Amino acid sequence: MILTFFRNLIRDLRRQPLRTSLTLSGVGWGTFAVVILLAFGSAVSRQNLKTFRGVGQGFVIAFPASTTVTYRGLPKGRLVRLTPEQVLLAGQKIPGIKRTSFEFTATRAIRYRREDVLNTVRGVTVGYGDIRNIIAGEGRYLNDADVSQKRRVCVLGDTVTENLFHEEKAVGRTVFIEGLPFTVVGVMKKKIQTSNFSGQRDEHCAFIPWTTYSALFGDKYIGSLIFQPANPADSKRTIRLMREELGKLAGFSPDDNDALFVWDWTEFEKSFSIFFLAFNVFLGVIGAFTLLVGGVGVASIMLVVVEERTKEIGIKLAVGAKRRHILWQFFTESLAIVLLGGGLGFLFAALVLKALPVEKIEEFVGIPLLNPTVGVATILILLTIGIISGLMPARRAASTNPIEALRK
Amino acid sequence: MIEMERISKVYRMGEVRLEALKEISLRIEAAEFISIMGPSGSGKSTLLNIIGCLDTPSGGSYFLEEKNVAGLGFDELSTVRNRKIGFVFQNFNLLPYATTYENIELPMLFNGRSGKRRRERVRELLEMVGLVEWQHHRPSELSGGQQQRVAIARALANDPSLILADEPTGNLDSKTGEEIMGLFVKLQGQGRTILMVTHDTHIASYSQRTIQLLDGRIV
Repeated sequence: MILTFFRNLIRDLRRQPLRTSLTLSGVGWGTFAVVILLAFGSAVSRQNLKTFRGVGQGFVIAFPASTTVTYRGLPKGRLVRLTPEQVLLAGQKIPGIKRTSFEFTATRAIRYRREDVLNTVRGVTVGYGDIRNIIAGEGRYLNDADVSQKRRVCVLGDTVTENLFHEEKAVGRTVFIEGLPFTVVGVMKKKIQTSNFSGQRDEHCAFIPWTTYSALFGDKYIGSLIFQPANPADSKRTIRLMREELGKLAGFSPDDNDALFVWDWTEFEKSFSIFFLAFNVFLGVIGAFTLLVGGVGVASIMLVVVEERTKEIGIKLAVGAKRRHILWQFFTESLAIVLLGGGLGFLFAALVLKALPVEKIEEFVGIPLLNPTVGVATILILLTIGIISGLMPARRAASTNPIEALRK
Repeated sequence: MIEMERISKVYRMGEVRLEALKEISLRIEAAEFISIMGPSGSGKSTLLNIIGCLDTPSGGSYFLEEKNVAGLGFDELSTVRNRKIGFVFQNFNLLPYATTYENIELPMLFNGRSGKRRRERVRELLEMVGLVEWQHHRPSELSGGQQQRVAIARALANDPSLILADEPTGNLDSKTGEEIMGLFVKLQGQGRTILMVTHDTHIASYSQRTIQLLDGRIV
């Protein structure tokens, strides 16, 4: 029975090769559009999320500024100054904070042999690397001993390493920061970062222990602090508690929003995700409309087919076909055209995606892939359109009056 | 076999009422061979359609083998046509793209007969109508007489007790027409009831009884 079905189907499709190929190409093109759009859409959002996370993951940055309200007898307009100890203490006291860190920052001269550069140097803690996704590609990141012993060691960004060392190996060499020798212990693994704060992107920076930075350059007060809530959804509460704790230590009101200038990256990340979800839905809808045009093509062709085959329907009804037999015949034929065209479009899209020059576009749009989400979404859209475009002609066919049909 | 009581059929075209059949009463016994004759527009086809359960009467009662079929719905009528009635048409009405074999098999596709039983039955019928060598040909490759024999084999697929033929020899030369009539006589001999619409008195002479229709009435 199934064999008969497919044999009849193939025969029906081959009877009108031009018409069949036009109909198939309509659906195929629509499917191709859906797959390509969704593949690119999800790649773009993945890539953007990845580069967005280049700056760090699920964290909050706070810059000490100046007070705008009086606090316990202290006037407004005071500079808020935070020491590393205050920040680390506050971070320990507040429940629900996973990591706390801070940095000293300035643009400083870095030299290796005859290469001189002016780049951002950051004095940081060990946990800083985890929050900001700074991972050593060669050598290692800063460790506790570096910090406690104020070692003159540094981790260099990948670009600054290239600028200073060219082909040479950097780890183990000595660079001079403001004329002071530092041993390179690690080179940052290349990461894609599209946003940054206070200073250059991490690929251009040198990271040294904050204790060393403070001892050599005399900084007492931090440039900015960063912390990671254990649960990103909990960021608002932890920000409030951070204001309260630091306010008590440094003398500003927890309600004085300007005393600490806060950037909540978890919020950005959330709205970013929502934006890209909407972006993908939008692309999906555009694709679905393209496919819908193909579906309309199938429906109208099938209406013509039903009209042409009225006689056949009449004969079948005369020899005892029920309405559902006729309905099923034309419904499955439409559905088969849609699925066949969809399969071809899918295949074509897969080939095109495979043939893409991935290296050239990765930085901008990521790597478009046929992932399961794209596949499932396409199949759902195809089935919906197949059912809609099959049902109408099939119902028309099933309502044929056998007497009139036989008279034709 | 067939009991019709005051069957009428009215077509409404806007304001105009067209009475195609006017209170026809009819009784046909099993294994009768009957011709229906009458001029164009006398209601022959309408009567045949109602008897064949392709159409429903506007009034009256119709019992087919003791079963009241006047009030059945579309799909129930399909089942009756499938099991009890075989149609033979003037223009054969074969599926043009299907082979002889597939055309004969067609009525069996709608009642869930197993593939094995279908194959056996098609083979029997091919032998009966003498078209075994033609089973893989399409209707366009067959002569008129051969096509009509395919149609008769198809009509017999589900072993119906009633055969309805609408001008079965109308498109055939007289020699082929005689052959087809020979087949009908044979079918009658098997105990089947045959109802045939025809213009041709010679063809009608093969039947035992003739029903004359005029203006929707039996005369």
